[in-house]
Amino acid sequence: MIMGRTVLNLYCLLVYAFLLAPIFVVVGASFNAGEFLTFPPQGLSFRWYVTFFHNEVFLRAIVTSLWIASVATVFSVVIGTMAAIYYVHFAGRRKEMIRVAALSPLLLPEILTAIALLFFLYDIGIGTKTMFGLLVGHVLLTLPFVFMNVSASLEGYDTDWSMAARSLGARPFTRFRRIVLPLIKPGLIGGALFSFVISFDVFTISLLLKSIGTATLPIQLFDYLKTNYTPEAAAVSTLSIVATVSVVVIVEKVVGLKVHKF
Amino acid sequence: MRQRYAFLLLLPAGILLTVFLAIPYVSVFLSAFRVPGEGTPYGDGYTLGNFARIFTDWFYIGQALNTMLIGAVTTLATLIIGLPVAFQLARPELRLRGLFYGIVLSPLLVGIVIRSYGWTILLGNNGVINRTLRGWGWIDGPMPLMYNTLGIVIALTHVFLPFMILPIMSAVQGIDPSVASAARSLGARRLSVIRRILLPLAMPGIQSGCILVFVLALSSYVTPALIGGLRVKTTAVTVVDAMIDTFQWPFGAALALTLSVLGGASVLLFARATRMKWK
Repeated sequence: MIMGRTVLNLYCLLVYAFLLAPIFVVVGASFNAGEFLTFPPQGLSFRWYVTFFHNEVFLRAIVTSLWIASVATVFSVVIGTMAAIYYVHFAGRRKEMIRVAALSPLLLPEILTAIALLFFLYDIGIGTKTMFGLLVGHVLLTLPFVFMNVSASLEGYDTDWSMAARSLGARPFTRFRRIVLPLIKPGLIGGALFSFVISFDVFTISLLLKSIGTATLPIQLFDYLKTNYTPEAAAVSTLSIVATVSVVVIVEKVVGLKVHKF
Repeated sequence: MRQRYAFLLLLPAGILLTVFLAIPYVSVFLSAFRVPGEGTPYGDGYTLGNFARIFTDWFYIGQALNTMLIGAVTTLATLIIGLPVAFQLARPELRLRGLFYGIVLSPLLVGIVIRSYGWTILLGNNGVINRTLRGWGWIDGPMPLMYNTLGIVIALTHVFLPFMILPIMSAVQGIDPSVASAARSLGARRLSVIRRILLPLAMPGIQSGCILVFVLALSSYVTPALIGGLRVKTTAVTVVDAMIDTFQWPFGAALALTLSVLGGASVLLFARATRMKWK
């Protein structure tokens, strides 16, 4: 039996190494001093980070990604939280239907959703001239994460508290601000964080719905990788990894995270 | 809030999902039958031509079958690799559990382009794996790991492994530990406890993990495009080519629809075969 445990643990360690390997390789490659991605690296250097900071294309892509992720998250959080409150407290018999509808952007294949949206936007005359389509796509894809996180934290909430506040004379808005909001805060922050990270990573929808001349970071990186082999892409990737991981860790430390992803 | 006005809470989400998801999905079925346009995304009128083109050309049929195969093998690989990890992570007394859980989640925080890029560095002809093996004198020439189906499966297995581990883990966590100890006290061996008690109880998690990974692998674009290059293309890659490079929107829609229907049918077959209970 002890043998079995050891074998299992060793197996799991190998899997963890497999999960981390490509990430470590990218980080390692970013410090390569050589002109091309070679292994073993030709010495250590920060030169690719310097190159990146002078590359306007990547910097613009990062700004675009941050902007879209922020706006999409704000919309998702507001819309998703309202839907989650209805789902938990008022839905009654239609609960299952609402849950499936709210999660549907996740259940449908992203590539078909992107094509459907592209045709639709073209048909109604909006097309991809503005960022509107891109934003709608990102809100759709991030909505399920807010809905899941907020409804999970609402399920544990006792409606008696709201009733008590009401009998003490609190108006609806005060009740929401003083009772509901503090209770769903962990779910709200978790959902917002997930939504931001997901939006930062959305690819297929961005590729099909982006307007000419705008590129999010994943698209720009992908474009670059198709034709270039310098370690600059690794430097960009490493910075993006460091940024996401530190945001998640900070949020985890400050408010505590409960992952309600599945 | 009075019940009467509660529906207002649902209104924004309802409008969003109806206008920008339900209606586009209905219209995409029509769009797949559109006539290809000249200089415009599509022309006037409707035709069966787009589907006829797919089903009369072995190139597209073979590619769709290969894509399904890639999805199936990836699902199987994530299941074999992920199942023991899910069981390990579900044990509350595990030391460093937080760290391991973080490692399982970590790929999700690192963008999909970056992860696939990492695999190109590992799998390339001059990549880490080939260089190392050559350095040790184990191989003479580079092993073909990239620009083929094998490379795509390896990278996709990595990319979607968390989606297999997490649902199984939460299913295993829901199992009452006394069930297993009861079976053991009645004389069941370790292996038969796993086979006859734990696996059946973890089945809902296994089923949702499999469906999730299969569907994600079928419609994934970035990983096959970067690892397969121009040599091996999956249907999703051809769809995006048709939409962006050659501007054949109706054909792209027809191809994406065909892939989705094939995928959906496989999921239903899988659910049937494993006697899945839909929640």
